[in-house]
Amino acid sequence: MNKTMTVDILSSIKGAQPSESVNQLFDVIKNAIPTNNNAANNVNHNCVSVNDLREDVVIESSVMEKQLIIENFPNKKNGFLVVAKVIEG
Amino acid sequence: MDSQIKKIHQQLVSKQITCTALVQEKLDLLKQNTYNSVNSLLDTLALELAAKVDAKIAKGETIGLLEGIPFGIKDVYMLQGTYATASSELLKKYKSPYTATAIQKLLDAGAIPLVKENCDSFGHGSSSENTIFGAVKNAIDPTLVAGGSSGGSAVNVAKEYTVFSIGGDTGGSIRQPAGYNHIYGFKPTYGRISRFGLMAYASSTDCVGPLAKSIEDIRIVLNVMSGKDPKDQTSVASTEISEDAIATSAVKTIGYFKNFIESDAIDNQIKADFLTTIEKLKAKGIAVAALDFFKSDILVSTYYTLAMAETASNLSRLDGTNYGNRIEAENLIETYAVTRSENFSEETKRRIVGGNQVLSQGFSDEIYLKGLALRDQISENFSKDFEEVDIILSPVTPSTPPKIGDSLKDPLAMYLSDAYTVGFSLGQLPTLTVPQGTSTGLQITAAKNNDELVLQFANFLKDTI
Repeated sequence: MNKTMTVDILSSIKGAQPSESVNQLFDVIKNAIPTNNNAANNVNHNCVSVNDLREDVVIESSVMEKQLIIENFPNKKNGFLVVAKVIEG
Repeated sequence: MDSQIKKIHQQLVSKQITCTALVQEKLDLLKQNTYNSVNSLLDTLALELAAKVDAKIAKGETIGLLEGIPFGIKDVYMLQGTYATASSELLKKYKSPYTATAIQKLLDAGAIPLVKENCDSFGHGSSSENTIFGAVKNAIDPTLVAGGSSGGSAVNVAKEYTVFSIGGDTGGSIRQPAGYNHIYGFKPTYGRISRFGLMAYASSTDCVGPLAKSIEDIRIVLNVMSGKDPKDQTSVASTEISEDAIATSAVKTIGYFKNFIESDAIDNQIKADFLTTIEKLKAKGIAVAALDFFKSDILVSTYYTLAMAETASNLSRLDGTNYGNRIEAENLIETYAVTRSENFSEETKRRIVGGNQVLSQGFSDEIYLKGLALRDQISENFSKDFEEVDIILSPVTPSTPPKIGDSLKDPLAMYLSDAYTVGFSLGQLPTLTVPQGTSTGLQITAAKNNDELVLQFANFLKDTI
C-alpha cells in the first residue's frame, strides 16, 4: 500500500496545514550538524531495566472512580453509554 | 521573605487564626480576583478539610507543618471528583476520576487545595493566553502577560491568594512565570516527583514542581512530593533535603553561558543586571567561568521538535470516545476529526500537526532523530560543564513580559522567548527561578539529582545580591 497520509489525516484535524513558524524551527534542525548521530547513545537513562519492572497487578477501581468514568462519558441514552457511530454507511 | 508555611503553622497552632477563617479569606480573594487566575474553586472540599484541622487543634492534637496550609493546583492535575480542564474546550467538563501522586502526597500531609489554576491549554504556551478562561494577567502589571504555561499558579502565589501552588514545567512553564511575577519556581530533576496524574505534554521533560514566595517553602513542599512511585516508572528515589543542608553554601565555582549574554536578542537592562550580579559574586570570592553552549535557535528547535512529537502522540487519545466534548459526525473517523478540530486551540493544533510532521516517514530521520541526537549532545555538554563548575547561573528570559495579545500574533517569537529555559529541560536538570538579579529573575541550575545544591546556592544568593 502506498497511500500518502497528509498531516490533517495523521492529526485527525480537519484542514490542518503545516505552520510556517514551526517549519522555521524544523529548518534549524535540518541544517544542524550533530557530532553524534547515534540517538541510541542516550546519556539520560530513563528506560527501566527489565529487572526493575513493577509487578503486573490488577487493581480494582474504587466505586467513586468508576462513577466518575461513567460521568465523563460523552453520550448517554436510556441508561446506556452511547459510542460514536462506528459503522460507515 | 521567610517561610509562609511556618508562619501560618505557628498562627494555627497558637490559635491566633482558625483554619476555616484562613481558607475562607483566601477563597474570597480568589473569587473576587480580576487576574483570570482561577478555572474552578474547590470551596466545599477546602472548607470541609479546614473544619477538620480546626477540630484537631481544638482537641489539642498535634498538627503537621503542612496541615491546614492552603495551596493551588495548575489545572492539568488530577484531583478526584474535581474538574481537570487543561484550560481546554475539549475537557471543559471533565472530572478527575483519580488523584495525581504528587497532589495525594500533599493531601496526606494535610495541605488544603483551594483552586484549579488557569494555564496555557495542555501546557502549550509561554504566556497563559492560550486558554478558554481568559488571558492571565501579570501580578505586577496587569497589562502584561503572566507568563506560562503555569501563569495562574504564579499569579496566585505572587498575590498571596495561595501559600504555594503546584505547577508543571516541560520547557520553562514554572520558571518563566515565576520570573515574570517575582516569586520562586522550581523545576526539580526529571523523575524526582512522580508524573502520575499530570496530563502528559512531553513525557521526556514533563516535571512537577512548586511555586512559592520563599526558598524554605519550596524545600518543604519539594520534600513532601518527592519519591519513587510505582505508577511512574521514570520516577527516582531521592533523599530529603534538610534545612541545615541548605543553610551554608559550599559553592566555589559558577558558570554562565557566554552566548546567552552576548546574544542580540537579550534586553540591554537584563544583560547589564546579569553582569552586575556576576561581578558581585566575584567580589564574594566565587570563581566565575564563561562557558560555551549551543546557540539559542538550536536549543529552541531541538526542544520544540521533541516536545511537539511527544504531544502529538500524547494528545492522540483525546478524541471524544470515552470522555471529552464529543461532536458526533457521519462516521467514527469524522467524529474524531470534527471533535478535535472544534475543541483544540490554534496553538495546540499547531503543535500536534508539527509533531506529526516530524514523526512521519521521510521526515523522522531528517528532523526527529536528529533532534534526539542533539539532545544527547546538549546533555553531554552539561555533564562536562558540571565537571568544571558547581552551578550554572542564567537569566530566566531574554526580555521583559510582553503585553497581553502580542504573543498570540507571533508564535515564532513566543517559541524563541523560551531560549534560556528549554536547555535545562532537555538536560533534565534541577533549576530554580529566584526573584533577584534581573527584572525577570535568575535561574540557578546544578547537575542532575543535585537539587539540594540549587537551594543551597539560592540561600547564599538571597543574602549576597
